[in-house]
Amino acid sequence: MNETTAGSILTTEGIPLKVSLQKAERRNKIRAILLVAPLLLFILFTFLIPIGDMLLRSVDDSYINTVFPKTFKEYKKWDRQDLPSEELYKTMFFEVKDSEGYAIGKASTRMNYAKSGWKSLLKKSKRKFKKIEEGPYKEQMIAIDKKWADMEYWKALGVMVDATTAGYYLNAVDLKYNVDKEVVRQKENRRIYNHTWVKTFKVSILVMIFCLMLGYPISYLLSTLPLKYSNLLMICVLLPFWTSLLVRTVAWMVMLQQKGVFNNLLVMSNIIADENRFKLMYNETATIIVMTQILLPFMVLPLYSVMKTISPNYMRAALNLGASPLHAFWKIYMPNSVPGISAGCMLVFILAIGYYITPELVGGKDGQMIGNWIAYHLKTTLNWGLSAALGAILLGVLTVLYWVYNKLVGIENIKLG
Amino acid sequence: MFKLIKATFLGLIAMAFTASSYAEITFVSWGGAYTNSQQKAYIDTWSKGSGVTVESYNGGLGEIKAQVEAGNVTWDVVDVLPDQAITGCDEGLFAKVDQSSFINDMVVPPVSDCVVPQIFWAYTAFYSKSAFPGKKPKNIKDFFNVKKFPGKRGIHTWANALIEMALVADGVKASKVYDVMSTPEGIDRAFAKLDTIKDHVVFWSAGSKPLELVSSGEVVMALAYNGRIGAAVLSEGKDFEYIWDATVLEQEYLVAIKGGNEKEALEFMAHASTAQALADQAKYIPYGPMRKSSIDIIKKGEPWFIKEGGNIDILPHMPTAPKVLKRAVIADPVWWADNGAEVSERFGAWKGN
Repeated sequence: MNETTAGSILTTEGIPLKVSLQKAERRNKIRAILLVAPLLLFILFTFLIPIGDMLLRSVDDSYINTVFPKTFKEYKKWDRQDLPSEELYKTMFFEVKDSEGYAIGKASTRMNYAKSGWKSLLKKSKRKFKKIEEGPYKEQMIAIDKKWADMEYWKALGVMVDATTAGYYLNAVDLKYNVDKEVVRQKENRRIYNHTWVKTFKVSILVMIFCLMLGYPISYLLSTLPLKYSNLLMICVLLPFWTSLLVRTVAWMVMLQQKGVFNNLLVMSNIIADENRFKLMYNETATIIVMTQILLPFMVLPLYSVMKTISPNYMRAALNLGASPLHAFWKIYMPNSVPGISAGCMLVFILAIGYYITPELVGGKDGQMIGNWIAYHLKTTLNWGLSAALGAILLGVLTVLYWVYNKLVGIENIKLG
Repeated sequence: MFKLIKATFLGLIAMAFTASSYAEITFVSWGGAYTNSQQKAYIDTWSKGSGVTVESYNGGLGEIKAQVEAGNVTWDVVDVLPDQAITGCDEGLFAKVDQSSFINDMVVPPVSDCVVPQIFWAYTAFYSKSAFPGKKPKNIKDFFNVKKFPGKRGIHTWANALIEMALVADGVKASKVYDVMSTPEGIDRAFAKLDTIKDHVVFWSAGSKPLELVSSGEVVMALAYNGRIGAAVLSEGKDFEYIWDATVLEQEYLVAIKGGNEKEALEFMAHASTAQALADQAKYIPYGPMRKSSIDIIKKGEPWFIKEGGNIDILPHMPTAPKVLKRAVIADPVWWADNGAEVSERFGAWKGN
C-alpha cells in the first residue's frame, strides 16, 4: 500500500514516484540517443564537418602567410608609389630561395588568383635564385625576369597579407579588391558570375514551374485511376527515373537538334519549311526542356502520395452542395494538395539549382550554370576558396528561401507522403 | 622425400609472399578508345603484380588533391594534361620520376620532373567531304570565314586552343602565337576574331559530339581531338577530311600519385613509357608518340594501324607528321597554368553575353 508523506507519492519500493518516473524517462532518452547516434555521427562526419571545412576555406588565407611571413611584414612598410626597396626584394628573395618542399608551389597557385603570372614567375625564380650568392638582390632578380620590376605583381600581394579574406566572396559576385584593398567591380570582360547567378535562378524557377504544370495533372490522374491502370502509369513515370541521366540527355539531343527527329517530322509533314527548322537544342530552351523531363518524377512522386490521401468524398460533398467543378477544385482539392506541391517544388528547385552536367551538354553557349563554375574551380584551377564561396552563397540563398517559405506557408505544411 | 616436400612448401610460401607483397595499382585515364589503346599497348602486357584496375575520370586535379590532402590515396597512376602535370608536381601531389632513360629521346622536353611521356594529341579542324562539293576549306582562315564557307561551326566550350587558332586565323604566325597572347592586346585580338563566328557556332563538350555534329549536317566544320577524327576515318570509313592548319598540339603524360603504391606505380610507368609501348599504342589510335624512337619503330613497321582486312598506314594521321608539325601550334602549358583561369572567365563571359 502506498503511503503519502509530505505530498510525494511513493512506489512499492519506497522511492518517490517522481524520481522513479524520471529515471525511467532518462533510460528511454539514453536509448533513443543511442539509437540515433550512428546516424548522427554519420551526418556529423560526412556532412556537417565537410561543409564547415568548405565554409572555412572560403575565407581562409592563412597558408600564404606561413610561406612569406617576413616579406609581408616588410610589405606593410611599402608606400606603393615606386618599386619596393632593396630590403623587400631581399626578404622575398630569401623566403623563396630557402623555402622547403612544396611551399612555393602551393603559395604560387594562390598568388596566381590575385595576378596571373605569379605561378611561372616563382617557379622560374626558385630555380634561378640558387645561383645568386650575394646582393644587391633587386637588380639580379629583375635580370632573371622583368616581371619583378612590374608594380602590378607587387601590388597584387597586398590583398593577401591578412590571414582571412573576403576576396573569394567578392570574386563570386564580380567584385574584387583593388591594390589599395578597396572593393571595386571586376574588369568588364571578366564579369561572369552575376550573369550566371541570374541565369541559374531563372532556369531553376522555370523548370520548377514547368514541372508543376506537367506533374500536377499526371499525379491527379495517377491518384484517381483504378489501381491496375495507375500502376501501369506509375511505371511509365518511374522508368525514365531509373534510366541513366546521360542516356536521357543524349536521347533528347537526338530528338531536338536541328536535323533531329522532331524537326524532321515537322518538315516531312510540311508544317514548317526546311530552312525554318526550330532551334531547340544547344540553347536555354533545350536546358529547360531536358531538365524538366529529368526532374519531373521528383514532382510527381510527392504530389501523388499526397493526392492519394485526399478523400474523393470531399469533392463529392462540394459538388453536392452546389459548387461548380472548377470552384470545388479550387476551394477543396487544391488547398488539400498544397503540402505535395510544396514538397515537389522544393525538391525540384533545390536539385535544379545545382545541376551542371545536363546544361553543359545541351545548353550550348548558355549552358553554364553556377554549378559548372564550382566544378571548374574545384577541378581545374584548384581555386577551392572561390568554389567554397560560390557554394556558400548558394547555401545561404537556399536557407533564406527556406526561411521565407516557412514564414509564408509554414514548414509543417510540407509532406512527402 | 620429406626434404623435397619441405623445400617445395617453403618455396610456395615464398612465392605466395612475394606475390601478395606486390600491390595492385589503379590506373586512371580518360576512358573510351584512348584507354582501350593503353590497355592493349601496355596494361595487358604488364606481367608483374596481380593486376591493374582501370578507372576513368574527366581530367583536373580536384580528386587527386582531395585524396592526397585526406591521406586516402586510391589512385596510383594517372594520365594528365601538361598544365596539370606542372601544377601537381609543384604542389607535391605527384612523385618524382627518374627520367634518365627517355629524356634525350623526347620530341619536346618533359614539362616537369614528375612525368613519363605518352602522346601528342591535337585540336584539329575537320569537315565532311560531302558538305563541300565545290571549293574545300584548306586552312584555319577558312574555318573562321563564314562568308566564303557559310554554315555552322562546332567548337568546344572551353578556351584552350581557340585563342591560339583565332590568332593564327587573324594572321599571327604559329610560332609567334604565345608572344602575342602574353600581351593584353593579343587576347583582345583573339576574342575579336572569335566574335566574327560567334553567331555561327554550336558548342560541344564531349569528345564524340563534334563527329556527330558534322555527320548529321548540324554543322559544316568542327574542331575535334584528332584521334577521334582518325578513328572515325580509319575504323568506320567516314568521309571526314582534316584541315591540317593551326592544329594545337597538346601533350599527355603519366604521373604517380604521392602516398599511393608509389614503387609499383613507378615500375608500371617505366613499362608504359618505353619506345615500344608508345609505338604499340599507335596500332590502336592515331595519336603521336612523344618519343623519337617510337616513330622510327612505326616507320619501319608500316602499315601499323590494326584493322580487319588489312592494316593501314598510320603516320599520315598523326598530328606529329612533319608536314602537319610545320603549321602547328605547340600548346604552351606554362602559359595556360599562369593565365588559364583568367582567360576561362573571360571566355565564359564571351559565351554568355
